[in-house]
Amino acid sequence: MTNRRPLMQRCAKTVVALMISTVMSGTAPASADATDDYPIPHRMIITACDAEQYLDAARDTSPVYFERYMIDKGNRPAGIQQMAEDRIHWFFSLSPVGRRQYSEDTATNIYYEQVATHWGNWAKVFFNNKGVVAKATDVCTKYPRGDMSVWDWR
Amino acid sequence: MKTTTTLAHMAFAAVTAAILFAPGAHADVDTDFANQLHTYGIYGQRDYNAWIGKITCERLATHLDATAFESATFLKGNLARTTSTEQVWQFLAAAVQTYCPEQTPALRAAADHSRQTTKEQT
Repeated sequence: MTNRRPLMQRCAKTVVALMISTVMSGTAPASADATDDYPIPHRMIITACDAEQYLDAARDTSPVYFERYMIDKGNRPAGIQQMAEDRIHWFFSLSPVGRRQYSEDTATNIYYEQVATHWGNWAKVFFNNKGVVAKATDVCTKYPRGDMSVWDWR
Repeated sequence: MKTTTTLAHMAFAAVTAAILFAPGAHADVDTDFANQLHTYGIYGQRDYNAWIGKITCERLATHLDATAFESATFLKGNLARTTSTEQVWQFLAAAVQTYCPEQTPALRAAADHSRQTTKEQT
């Protein structure tokens, strides 16, 4: 019994010390904070192309990735597809600062992007792969702006 | 000029070979396609090559690629960098033969155009 008290006292001290250090250190940074390349690649944030120019380019530079995105899109209800198109047009209407803020918002709040609650990969071809974005943004200015026919791939 | 002639010969040879030496069909079309590509020394991921073959057909069907020459340009940009021009045409001929034989006229047109170009140059 005499040996237990020091042990219990040590445990209690450790717990108190941990509690104090947690309070003193303040709130820990969120583990999912955005970076300049995550979750939205930097090149997507700064590109001057519109959504259709980018898609046209991705169709030619990452055809399999583009194809799979379009197949996925085609399997969604028409209303969700339209919602995704409208949302990406809204995204492209933002300035780089606005896009970077949006990237931060979606990284730190999984409920921020409402379209994603209906279709998780709604912007996959735009945001999810740095290589795809790099290749498409390299050449997207060569394509016509506002070519809506690119959405009707399937 | 010489390059054009060389390309023309390659297109013609690839198309002719694909039409003449079409292998027998097996259960898995993608595997047959991969096996045919292997005979040309074209390797890489089977599924990727199958996707590219089918997409090439889709682009021809929708006239996104208006000619077989445009198809070849598309393929050149999406096959391994080490793929030669001759292999690009062989890939194209194999893809058409496997996935969209209805596009064979586009290949023939390319071959005819190549023959014509060659005649004019000689």
